[in-house]
Amino acid sequence: MSDKNIVDSFIRVARIIANLDAILAEAKNLSLTAKNARVVALRAGDSASGFKPITNFIDEFSEQTIKTTTHISTLSNQLFKIALEAVRSTQFDIHVGDATILMSTPQLVTLQHKAKLDRQQQTKKLEIALLELESFFEEINKQMRSAEYIAVTSRVEASNAGEFSDSLQSVSDFIASAARTIKQSVTVNLNEIHTLRGTLH
Amino acid sequence: MKATQLYQAASHSWLMFGRDEGKPEKIIDTNQYLVKGKGQAVLLDPGGTELFSPMLAAILQHIELQELTTLFASHQDPDIISSLGLWDKALPGATLHAPWLWEGFIRHFGMSNIKYQGIKDEGGDIRLNDISLKLIPAHYLHSSGNFHVYDPQAKILMSGDVGAALEKTNAPIFVEDFGAHVKHMEYFHRRWMPSNRAKANWIARVKELNIEIMAPQHGRLFKGEAVTEFLEWFAKLDVGIAT
Ligand SMILES: [Fe+2]
Ligand SMILES: [Fe+2]
Repeated sequence: MSDKNIVDSFIRVARIIANLDAILAEAKNLSLTAKNARVVALRAGDSASGFKPITNFIDEFSEQTIKTTTHISTLSNQLFKIALEAVRSTQFDIHVGDATILMSTPQLVTLQHKAKLDRQQQTKKLEIALLELESFFEEINKQMRSAEYIAVTSRVEASNAGEFSDSLQSVSDFIASAARTIKQSVTVNLNEIHTLRGTLH
Repeated sequence: MKATQLYQAASHSWLMFGRDEGKPEKIIDTNQYLVKGKGQAVLLDPGGTELFSPMLAAILQHIELQELTTLFASHQDPDIISSLGLWDKALPGATLHAPWLWEGFIRHFGMSNIKYQGIKDEGGDIRLNDISLKLIPAHYLHSSGNFHVYDPQAKILMSGDVGAALEKTNAPIFVEDFGAHVKHMEYFHRRWMPSNRAKANWIARVKELNIEIMAPQHGRLFKGEAVTEFLEWFAKLDVGIAT
């Protein structure tokens, strides 16, 4: 990892964290929508009986998404620390390398060896953290795919809900669009992570 | 990096490192001092990040890395201690003596292994086995939390930015003609030093000491008569001119 790559990786981590906020906000909206939809479904009574399990389902996965996102948030903050350690050990390795160019003593050679090892370890740590992060994002993507499926199903149920049809229809639309937005943010983040992992080699 | 021996005794020795020819042009040239005791050494004002590699290479010609147990920072400036983040990796077990006032600031240079030993306003000392270096308060000269190092046995005063001169990298080690040297120091002291009161206070304190060499962090060192000449010149100088 060169100096330029180090700075780039910081920017990437910052971008991932900024995107997380957008995902979290959208997941919270989803959870709120699920609660509202349940109230509407309750009022619609028998005509919307097919809608009730759907609202429960939405509620469940939006909670899950919030949980996963919060977990990612914690991980990303650690990511900054891990990235900083990787930067420091990389710089240390570079500086010790410069010293050995000026003068190569057995002591400096040993120190350089240590610096290299430390740099490798810190880079490895960063790599592991990124892998973990990646799996979390993939998890969210899975959740969003089921959200899209629910949106389709709920659209069918909404059309049978008589006078409540319109408001339940808009719930379905909202779920579909929220899932799309979240998936987009996740795609951006997965790309950032891939690039970041690429620079570590 | 050039190394010059300032003092040599059975108990310990003083080495000055500076006049680094590989230094980038726009960076102020600095003097670093290594006091080497038996199996233990202290590096006074280790220098900036840019200096870490040449300093490391130079120091290892004189001591083993594990002997460097102690660092000292006279104040918080980047030319004094911005290399800390790198030393922190090289010397994870070391202790840094620096003004208590600057701890929260100096830690910004990156310090997760080295221990910070805050120096109280009234001063203190650094002990290396059987030798003891006195930490002399030099607050507001120029930093608001600032110390110099005095070695009563070697009669050396490491005077930080006091006595500093802005000169070329190839300048001689010692001041030979004080009158001719003034032009390299005058603006620095008048502009960087903020307080006439602090200055007078410091001069009174330093006059009590028996000084053979006064060793600033920039430029030439003062020896014998030149030390007295400096103190007399500094006493008359009006500082804090940018008000
Ligand atoms: Fe300074
Ligand atoms: Fe300085």
